Amino acid sequence: MSNELEKYYCFKRENKFIVKSGSKKRMWRSLKQILTADRALPWPNEAVLYYSINAPPTFKPIKKYSDISGLPAPYMDRHSKLYFSNAEEFATVRNLPMDITAGYLQLRGANTIVG
Amino acid sequence: MDEENVIIFKDYKTVPDVVHEYSPTLKFEHIPLIIDNGSYQCRVGWSISEEPHLIFKNLIARPRKDRCKKDAEPPVTPPIQIGNDIINIEAVRFQLKTQFDKNVVTHFEVQEQVCDYIFSHLGIDSEGAVNHPIVMTEAFVTPNYSRQLMSELLFEGYGIPAVSYGVDSLFSFYKNDIGDTALLVNCGYHTIHIIPVIKGKVIAEHARRINLGGSEMIFYLHKLLQLKYPVHVNAITMSRAEEILQEHCSVALDYKEEITKWANADYYDANVKKLQLPVIQSSSSSSTLTAEQQKERKKEMAKRLLEINARKREERLAEDEEQLNQLLALHEIMEDGDTDEFDEAIRDLDIKSFEDLQRQISNKQMRIEKNKQRIAAAANAEESVDARPPPGRFQPPTDPDAFQIWLNDTRTKYRELMARREARRARRAAMVRRRTAAAAERMRVISRLAAAGDDFGNHDSDWDAYKSISREADSDSEADGERLVELEEVLREYEPIPAKHRERQLHLAIEPFRVPELMFQPSMLGNLEAGLAETMEYLFKHFTPEEQLLLANNVFITGGSSQFPGLKERLERELLEMRPFKSTHKVVMAKNPSLDAWYGARDFASSNAFENFCITKEDYLEMGGEYLKEHYASNPYFKSPAPIVDTTLVPAGDSNVIKEEVIVDC
Repeated sequence: MSNELEKYYCFKRENKFIVKSGSKKRMWRSLKQILTADRALPWPNEAVLYYSINAPPTFKPIKKYSDISGLPAPYMDRHSKLYFSNAEEFATVRNLPMDITAGYLQLRGANTIVG
Repeated sequence: MDEENVIIFKDYKTVPDVVHEYSPTLKFEHIPLIIDNGSYQCRVGWSISEEPHLIFKNLIARPRKDRCKKDAEPPVTPPIQIGNDIINIEAVRFQLKTQFDKNVVTHFEVQEQVCDYIFSHLGIDSEGAVNHPIVMTEAFVTPNYSRQLMSELLFEGYGIPAVSYGVDSLFSFYKNDIGDTALLVNCGYHTIHIIPVIKGKVIAEHARRINLGGSEMIFYLHKLLQLKYPVHVNAITMSRAEEILQEHCSVALDYKEEITKWANADYYDANVKKLQLPVIQSSSSSSTLTAEQQKERKKEMAKRLLEINARKREERLAEDEEQLNQLLALHEIMEDGDTDEFDEAIRDLDIKSFEDLQRQISNKQMRIEKNKQRIAAAANAEESVDARPPPGRFQPPTDPDAFQIWLNDTRTKYRELMARREARRARRAAMVRRRTAAAAERMRVISRLAAAGDDFGNHDSDWDAYKSISREADSDSEADGERLVELEEVLREYEPIPAKHRERQLHLAIEPFRVPELMFQPSMLGNLEAGLAETMEYLFKHFTPEEQLLLANNVFITGGSSQFPGLKERLERELLEMRPFKSTHKVVMAKNPSLDAWYGARDFASSNAFENFCITKEDYLEMGGEYLKEHYASNPYFKSPAPIVDTTLVPAGDSNVIKEEVIVDC
């Protein structure tokens, strides 16, 4: 409707980064790419950079919680690799369909083969 | 019955922003503009205002192009929706874009669109430039690359005179005025920052960032509920997860103790939170879309059609008017008696004679009149649609007994209609097949019709025979269908919660504690970083005991995700655990965790020293886009070093290469 009109703003000098639809889009560097590029530079020692203030890895043992209820879970189902806290939950875990177990594992970040 | 405990989703809708007034004071006195550019929300306002004028989610929705090329219209690209323009965020969930990658701006095309939105909604109307210094917040230790592009956008795209960048959590800290030494804990949408400040100096090298925030918590809760209730996958939306997080979640004082309580069934029954998902009756429609979505979509389509029609009409009107003017001009020429010119002109316009001209003029006038009437009629129709009163026939009686009777009555009517419809459908289905009783009956009626004598049609009921043999839906069933829909709507509105509703309830037990606990145990999300408490403990180790004490006695919490009830108490408990025996500690909450950054930046912009901290256009041109003037709430500035030139590739002593380099540099 007023698409063409809306594109024009009087306070603006030029469209700096907005490209017309149809023409080639500029690829924006992701944060990861920006950080990689930053790493390659010879920074002075005192410089504090985005990647240098990441939190340290945890040194505490990772606590296990039941995937389905969130209760403390001393057991793991060997078949699905899900944590559970009691016999009742075990029955539930055993009857869960594949996609749900996969979803729980993925949520916990335990679906990768490594680690 | 425990209906009083059931929580209903509020499903908040945004209200589109108005265009604010751009008063002469603002226009001519170069009042600074404050933009708290957060990855969750953007807050914008003038330095002389009490509150920000615009608060919107930093998101844009770019709809896909209309693929229907059937009508000859040029393809209409629906406009990009930004911030509060997005009324129903779930309808455009897959088209959402943000300029942020974690907490850093990386996608500057989106940022430019957001800036357009900001400046146009502030009503700025100066030609070719935004004549205001800008205070913009940025992430703690933002990469220079990102700041460079931001400066480029502001100076070159909008022609601003000056800019100053600051860190949101530091602005918030100074706004709360709690001394010059503190340990800031800023819980944001993507990150948690822990920043030590000693005697007004930010100890950046010991600050730490946990890469987890509100968005991760929303995602976690969303996924948890979807896995717990696979039946309601579509009804559990991100916005609803967000609503649960904001209104029903809290931080447990002792997580382990809290969750073991829930193992007890009695405790569970007494404390479980029940959330009611909206109930949709899907008897008349059976597609994957919910009824409310369909309704909304239909409404939107109708609105768009109306708009297109109105536009077409107006275009036609304008065209006709122009032609009429032309013809009238001709008419005038003729009246002036200038026949030569007239002859020439009518040849161009394909008009045969003066009479023809007159006829065409009157034709045009009639068409314009008609069009005008139509436009007026359409406008009226729109108004009358809005003003239509709710169906009066089904106003329920207010007396509870009478209401019960009325409700039962309505229910029986509904059931009867349903049964009738079902019976009719079954009969029609049976008629199609052979060797069924219905088909045989139909054949019998047909043969009787054929054998009927001359007196067929004397009775009106004779004609019903045709109805009974027709295989199509007849007019009776149409009327029934309409009634059915009406009754359905009434029942949906007035029926008390039946058992069916209880199936659509979400039960929250540990989840309201489990989700904010992510801040302390990111490992629950598979994130191997240390949690909030552990990182704080790690941080303390970098300071002398005296400094540690100073920091521990002024732990300052700010940021939107810090508003969980219980976070303060939890941090106090954690500090008690990690600090030496009998040492003191104190936790202070920001007065307004989400808005204090903006207030702080506003105070900074109204201070006398503000001008000294501004990067002017000259600075920008001289020092480059990444340049930053440091102030009490800014990031530390480290100039990007020149990249290491691999000297092995440049043979020493080759003067030509050096010359070339100089040329490139220019």
